[in-house]
Amino acid sequence: MQGLHLTSLLSILILMITAFIMPVIKQRQLVTKISLATMGVVLVMLALVAVDVARVEHYTATIGHYDAPFGITFDIGPIEAVVGVLFAFVSTMVVWYASFGIHKEIKENRVKLFYTLIHLLLASLLGIVFTSDLFNSFVFIEVSTLAACGLIAIKDKPENIKATMKYLILSSLGSGLVLMGIAYLYSMTGHLNMRAIHETLQVSVAGNERAILVSLTMFTIGLGIKAAMFPLHIWLPDAHASAPGPSSAILSGIVIKAPVVLLFKVLFMVYGHEILKDTVILNLILIFGATGMIMGSLFARVQTDLKRMVAYSSVAQMGYIFFGFGLGNAMGMTIAIYHILAHGLTKSCLFLSVSSFIEQTGQRDIDNMRGIGREMPITLAIFSLGGLSMVGIPMLPGFVSKWNLALAAIDYGQIFLLLIILASSLLNVSYYFPIIINGYFGNANLEGKIYKSKMKPVRELVPLILLSIMMVIVGFGSGPILDWIASAMPSL
Amino acid sequence: MTTPIIRRIVGWLLPFLWIFSFYIMLFGHLSPGGGFSGGSVLGACLILDRHVNGANAFGARFTGERLLKLSLAALLLYGILKGQSFLAGVLHMNGLPIPLGTPGNILSSGLILPLNVLVGIVVAVAFYLIATLFEEGHL
Repeated sequence: MQGLHLTSLLSILILMITAFIMPVIKQRQLVTKISLATMGVVLVMLALVAVDVARVEHYTATIGHYDAPFGITFDIGPIEAVVGVLFAFVSTMVVWYASFGIHKEIKENRVKLFYTLIHLLLASLLGIVFTSDLFNSFVFIEVSTLAACGLIAIKDKPENIKATMKYLILSSLGSGLVLMGIAYLYSMTGHLNMRAIHETLQVSVAGNERAILVSLTMFTIGLGIKAAMFPLHIWLPDAHASAPGPSSAILSGIVIKAPVVLLFKVLFMVYGHEILKDTVILNLILIFGATGMIMGSLFARVQTDLKRMVAYSSVAQMGYIFFGFGLGNAMGMTIAIYHILAHGLTKSCLFLSVSSFIEQTGQRDIDNMRGIGREMPITLAIFSLGGLSMVGIPMLPGFVSKWNLALAAIDYGQIFLLLIILASSLLNVSYYFPIIINGYFGNANLEGKIYKSKMKPVRELVPLILLSIMMVIVGFGSGPILDWIASAMPSL
Repeated sequence: MTTPIIRRIVGWLLPFLWIFSFYIMLFGHLSPGGGFSGGSVLGACLILDRHVNGANAFGARFTGERLLKLSLAALLLYGILKGQSFLAGVLHMNGLPIPLGTPGNILSSGLILPLNVLVGIVVAVAFYLIATLFEEGHL
């Protein structure tokens, strides 16, 4: 139905328009309500998009009045629909959570700006995912970078400004490289539309091998910086650890995922497997991903600050996604996209529960979290669920990812890659379990702690509980989700 | 920084710059120029005026709050005007029936003229606010 095709564009438009209404509204409560209502509407719209896609498999919405090779279009298939719903769901829950406590973390007069930035951020991330025009995606990348920087700097502390500058400079480098890559592609093919580039590129490979390799490298490094691929992740721990709690959840949960989706589209839909198999790019991504899985976990292991630990864990988890891309087979790609879902839900859950620990106790050190399970039992239960998913306990999404990634690695023909997955999982155990165990058990740890003394009111925990329920559903329902994503994989 | 020479010369220049900025915005669809370039000239006018004439300046009468509202309203209008066109594009319809006028006239080419003016307002306000931000440390 034509009318439903509107919703993908309309969701971005509504977010952009409401973003600019909020700064002029006086009362904080009203801003919060408008933001929540908008997020709810957007979530419903993107769910409709998913329903629409499930029925017709794939559709193209023409923006402007020109058709595909010249005008901008949104190409929406199962991958875009799933990721869009994830983004909207996570941001809705984060905004809901923030509506209770964001004014305690940032200055009162910045609260409105916070919601404006979140709206802009979600709109640009959805744009990156939906658009099939490379230059349009670059514009959305820039918007998302600036909005994300705002969300980190909004706390006004010196370490926030420092982290923001670091992120801004590295991100600008990344988007510069992406722009150069687009310029190379444009000069080789004369198109900006992904499909058109793909078709032209297939017939004009001969003689262009080097230019293709250079542009591929630019895209990989540029988007790799934004998605915190292992050696390029150095901005992530500072930025995600110093930002206010809800910002960290949104940054770690969805902001680093959008460039990954774009990288997936660029690698496998623009260049295509025919070109990739003659280059070293996929092997490089595999190596970076594998190193990230191990090194990210090792770095996380040695952190003393709880939030930094969770931030480093993101680096490791992004490694899984790149690992899946690097394998280059259909299963690896499917599971990489599934892991975007799994990690987005799990990590936003973890960050929100960590930020409520910090908010209620005033402590950031892991050592001071002993006995927290008696004081805040529900929040630690949610944290534990997230931790278990990261470690890979069966039926949770993390397990589904690891299991299928292992199968994909066997399919790829390199059994030793299994060792990396195994080692990374064991490392995950080594830093998530101590917090859970020391939080709930041990007489010395629990001494003097009063049951539920620091617990937040249950209504403030609802978004967290919904996130964790969704996480479990994604784990249990992994079969249909995986099938659906796999149906959209470009043929090899 | 403001010597009588600068004050006199700026006094001479400003009216022309003002008119030129509006010319660039309004003729954006007919000649080189458009919203961004016109807006940057307009913003430069406001900044120059403020630096030279201080509290008497035209721009100083607008507080940050009011300017912010103005530019947000412009953005909102832009979003609605262009958004309806995009949405109509998805449905393969024509959007708001805005008369195209005679090519070559100022009132022609549909949406481009109002959009240019709106972009100009946003850009001018942004330039001016950034300049005042560096001057006083707050809006």
